[in-house]
Parts: sequence; structure tokens; C-alpha cells
Amino acid sequence: MPTTLRIALLAGLLALLSNLAVIGFIYWRTHDEAVSTVRRQVIEQGKVLSDVYRSGGKAALDDAIEDTMTYGDPQTAVGLFDPAKREILGNLASVPSGPDPWREGYRNGLIRLRGQTTPHEGALVNQRLPNGQWVVTGRIFGEGLALRETLESSLLIGLVVAGLLGLGCGLILAQYVGRRIAAITEVADRISARDLSQRVPLTGAGDAFDRLGGQINAMLDRISTLMEELRLLTDSLAHDLRSPVSRLRSAAQAAAESSDPKEQEELLGSVIRQADALIRILTSVLEISRSEALTGRNQFAWFDAGELSAELTEMYEPLAEEKGAALKFDRPHRATPLYGHRQLLAQAISNLLENAIRYGSAGGEIRVGVEPRESEVRIEVSDRGPGIPEDLRAEALRRFGRLDSSRSDEGAGLGLALAQAIAHLHSGKLMLEDNHPGLLTALALPVHSDKHD
Amino acid sequence: MGRKILLIEDDRETAAYLAKGLTQEGHSVEQATNGQDGLFRATDGSFDLIILDRMLPVLDGLSVLRALRAAHIDTPVLILSALASVGDRIDGLECGSDDYLVKPFSFAELLARVNALLRRREARVDPADHRLTVGDLEIDPLSRSVKRAGKKLDLKPREYLLLEYFARNEGRVVTRTMLLEQVWDYHFDPGTNVIDVHVSRLRRKLDEGFEKPLLHTVRGAGYMLAA
Repeated sequence: MPTTLRIALLAGLLALLSNLAVIGFIYWRTHDEAVSTVRRQVIEQGKVLSDVYRSGGKAALDDAIEDTMTYGDPQTAVGLFDPAKREILGNLASVPSGPDPWREGYRNGLIRLRGQTTPHEGALVNQRLPNGQWVVTGRIFGEGLALRETLESSLLIGLVVAGLLGLGCGLILAQYVGRRIAAITEVADRISARDLSQRVPLTGAGDAFDRLGGQINAMLDRISTLMEELRLLTDSLAHDLRSPVSRLRSAAQAAAESSDPKEQEELLGSVIRQADALIRILTSVLEISRSEALTGRNQFAWFDAGELSAELTEMYEPLAEEKGAALKFDRPHRATPLYGHRQLLAQAISNLLENAIRYGSAGGEIRVGVEPRESEVRIEVSDRGPGIPEDLRAEALRRFGRLDSSRSDEGAGLGLALAQAIAHLHSGKLMLEDNHPGLLTALALPVHSDKHD
Repeated sequence: MGRKILLIEDDRETAAYLAKGLTQEGHSVEQATNGQDGLFRATDGSFDLIILDRMLPVLDGLSVLRALRAAHIDTPVLILSALASVGDRIDGLECGSDDYLVKPFSFAELLARVNALLRRREARVDPADHRLTVGDLEIDPLSRSVKRAGKKLDLKPREYLLLEYFARNEGRVVTRTMLLEQVWDYHFDPGTNVIDVHVSRLRRKLDEGFEKPLLHTVRGAGYMLAA
């Protein structure tokens, strides 16, 4: 069964059920009302007659019965019977039927009045007088029943109408939902057919469908960004590996063609160095994608970020000195515990240091600082070199992003990208800022990144 | 003095190349080509060193290593692996290996590590005088003081650690990566010659003014401290 029809039927059924409940309630109330009114009237009438007998005796009773027959409304039944249950007076064509017809008190039964061909349902009261005679008073439900019948038929019509209306509403609703979903399905279909630019149309109503569509669109945006990144990465990987591979190839070729053993050895040494550089590039690319995929969080542990930075500063100090820069560490004023991957962060910090030494040594001074903040630790490496203009900083963070192709010999342009990926692994950020002059690179890392994810 | 080495490696080419090289160095090499066979051979504990490939058929390298360590066989294990990321290296070391070497590697690098591991084992069974001497160089690990020809050398803490590591591997090649891992305890590959700069600083303090240098550069491999 198609979903549209199922929704329509369900809506129709629900409408029917709710109406049925209302109708049932009305029916029960009106029926009860009609019966209890008649019952009150009959009991009242019986009481009046017995009062008349008590105060005025037999003659007064006979008169009262006559009066009732003459002036009472046509639904009223009354009869006086002798102790042998033979009729003395009254308008009853027969003794009202029912189980145990001569039980004293109130009962329901079929009443046939004189001049009537069919008996009618009604309420009766039997009373036995002190002289052994019986007074039977009653009333036909007529009016109440007629009202009930009208009510019943109109309620029935109402029920049918409600059912049809429900079905109709259901159909419209189902079609509306179907249409909105079809729009989303269509987009999904076109995306499956490799058109990632498709987006779910939004009505602007801000309803649940719009929210769903918005979510799907946001997801698609993220996917296309990732796809684009992946494409760029594959492109640049293919492109950037070309030059080291061709250098390697020409060194190998030259070695093969050389007849001088000393030169040959030198060339082969160069081949090995080129191959090592290639392997290093591949390892970095692997490390970046692993970090971006948040692999390695199981190796997180507590350590002191300040201590690690101090150690790395000490490690790079001779290298900086050789390049003519003084590398200095600004010791933090308190301990800087950090929950993270010590080895990978060591790599990230060393990448920042190498970057600063490589490009910023001319400025003379490189500083490393660790600053504990409320919920994060900021590790800064700042130099006094040429810096990176603001509009080029994003490029500097990109994998294989290089600001100046002429220095492509040194480093593969992966250092900052890897540092950034490692920052992401820690739910942190790598920021490039202006050091007025020079470049300031900062890793801002939550003290306990696991808690945030 | 040859040693018994168990080589567990499924790649025939690599295995043949390593076995040949190690045999030429005077070691006797036994080979296994899958993890289960390797584990079976290793359990008799008669080897001086196990070279274990990480990705093996039947039973992978780390499982072999865990099983060995669980059986209290403490033969030194050198893991070889194509899994090069820092996380993979740490996984390998945390499983109880003594060293982790990423493929591809040079034979010189492997040999240096093999020798260092064998040497460590030797040192363990032979607790001699705690002082280390290399020629006229004298190192006291307890007071961390260093003398050359009776003259005290003023070394920074890291320079001392570097020298002590060299001295403990006297006469053997020590590679840059070994220094980075063992002296600094870092497991990433710096793209620069940061280690070389430290070694040349140490060399200036150690050899300057002395006729005979102690700290030698071994081309294409690393460094060696030898009298």
C-alpha cells in the first residue's frame, strides 16, 4: 500500500474514532436524560394519585383518574384494577407487558393505550391500594424517543461526514508531505548521479522540513569542501611529488652513466637523500590525514606542555644559533598540564620551530612561549623575520601550500599543515599572527580535549 | 663473535637481503615466514635477538610480541614495519618491543640498531665497573662527570646524555634516528639536521685540543665513538 494512502486512511480512521467517541457520549447523555425525565414524571404522577386516595378516598381517586384521562397529555397511561387484576377504570388497552407485570414500584414496559394498535415503550409505576385495588400509572417515552431517533440519525450522518473529511485531510496532508520529501529525494538522486552542487530547496517557512533540508544542505556543503580538499590534495600530491621524483631520476641516471667511481658514489648518495625526502613527504601526508581523522587519541596522556616546549627549545637552540638567530624560551609562571599526544605535539612544535628558524632567522631572535589560560594552553613561536601577509596565511596552512615556489627545495610545505592537523587532533587551533614584525605561530590547545568531543 | 638472530619476515626478498647481510656480519640467522612459526621458534628463548616484521600472515607481529612477553621471554625484539606514523611506532614500542624501525631503511641503520640491542644484552649479563672508558675518556654515570686525559669537560645535561649513549655503544655505529629516539625520546622524523648540530657541538668540546679524535662520522650511516 502506498504511504500516501496509508497516511490518508490513518487520518480518516483517527477522525472517525474521535467523532465516534463524541457521538457515543452525546447518545448516552441524551438517552439517559429522556428516560430519567419520563421516570420522574411517572413517579410523580403515581405519588399524586396515591395521595388523592389517601386524602379523598375511592371517589376522589376515580375522579382524579377520570381527570387524568381527560386532561392529561396523550402519552399518559392510567388504570385502576380490582384485586383480581381486572380493569375497573383507565385508558389502558391491555395490562402493560414485561416480566413480573404486577411487581410494586417502578418498571419499564410496553404500554398499549386504548385506540392504539401497537404498544410503545414506556415507564410504569404499580401501586397497591390499602383496599387491595391496583393503580397503574405510566407514560410512553414517545417524545424522548423521537428526539433520540433524530439525534441518532443526525449523529450517524455526522459520523460519515467526519470520516470522509478525515480521509480527505489525510490525503491532502500525505500529498503535502510526499511533495516535500520528493523534493529532498530528487536532490539526493541527482547527487547520487554525481552532481554535488544540488541543494534542497527551502520554503523559508522554517518548519521541520526546512530544518531537515537545511541540515542536508549543510552536510552537502561539508562534503563538497572535503571533496574539494581531497581533489586539491591529490592534485598537489601528484604535482609536488613530480619534482623530487624527477630530481631522483636524473641523479640515478647520472650515476648510471658516470664512469668515475667517486662521482658515482656521490650521485648515489644524492639518490638516497632524494628517496628519503620523498618518504618523509609521504609520512607527513599520512600523519596529517591520520590526525585529521582523530586517530591517536587513545595514546593521549597528561604531560607538561611547558616542559616539552622547553626541551624542544633546547633541542633547536644550536640549529638556530648556526643560522644566526637566538632561540629563547619564556618560562611560564606556573605548570601547564595538558592531556594530549606528547609525541605528536613534539612534532607540531618542532615544525613551528623549524619554520621559524628556516624563514625567520634573519630577524635575529626567535621566542618560544607557553601560556596557560583558563581551559587552554597556548604555545607560541614567534620570529622577527619577514612574516606572512594576512591574505596569504590560509595558503601557508594548506597542505603543500607554499608562498614562494623558489624555496621549494627546502621542506615540502607540509610542516604547518601537519602542525594544524595535530592541533585539530587535540580539538585545538593553529593560528598565524603578525608579530610586528615577523610571524607568530600559536597552538591553542584545550587542556583536556577529550571532554569536548 | 656471532650471535643467534631469529628473523621473522614474510617478504622473501627483504628476508634474503637481511639474512645475507647479518650472516656476513658473523651472526647466525634462523628464518620464519609467518607469525605462528616465528612464535614457535622464538619460545625456546635461545636467541639473542628477534627481528620481527609487523605485518605477517597467520599471526601478526604485535600478537607474536605480546605472546612472547606474556610467556616471559625477554629476548630483545626489533620490529620492522611499513607503518610509519608516530602513533604506529608508539603502539609497537608499547607492545614490548625494544626498537622499532620503519621500512624502507638502510642496512646500515638496521645493523646499527641490531648491534645496539645485542650490546645492551651483553651489558646486562656483564655488570662491570660502573665507569665507562673510551681511550683516554672517562665517564662516571653516577656523578655525571666526564674527564678526557684527566681534564674535566664541562658538558650541558643533554650533551652528557648524548656522550653517555655514544660511550655505551663504543665502537658501534649510532644513527641520527637512534640518537633522536634514545637520547631525546622523540619518534618523529625532523626534516632538518638538528641532531648533527648537537653532535658537532659535543665534538668541539670533546675533541678540540686533542690530537686524536674520539667522535667519528660514519658516512651514510651516522656516528661512532671509538678510541
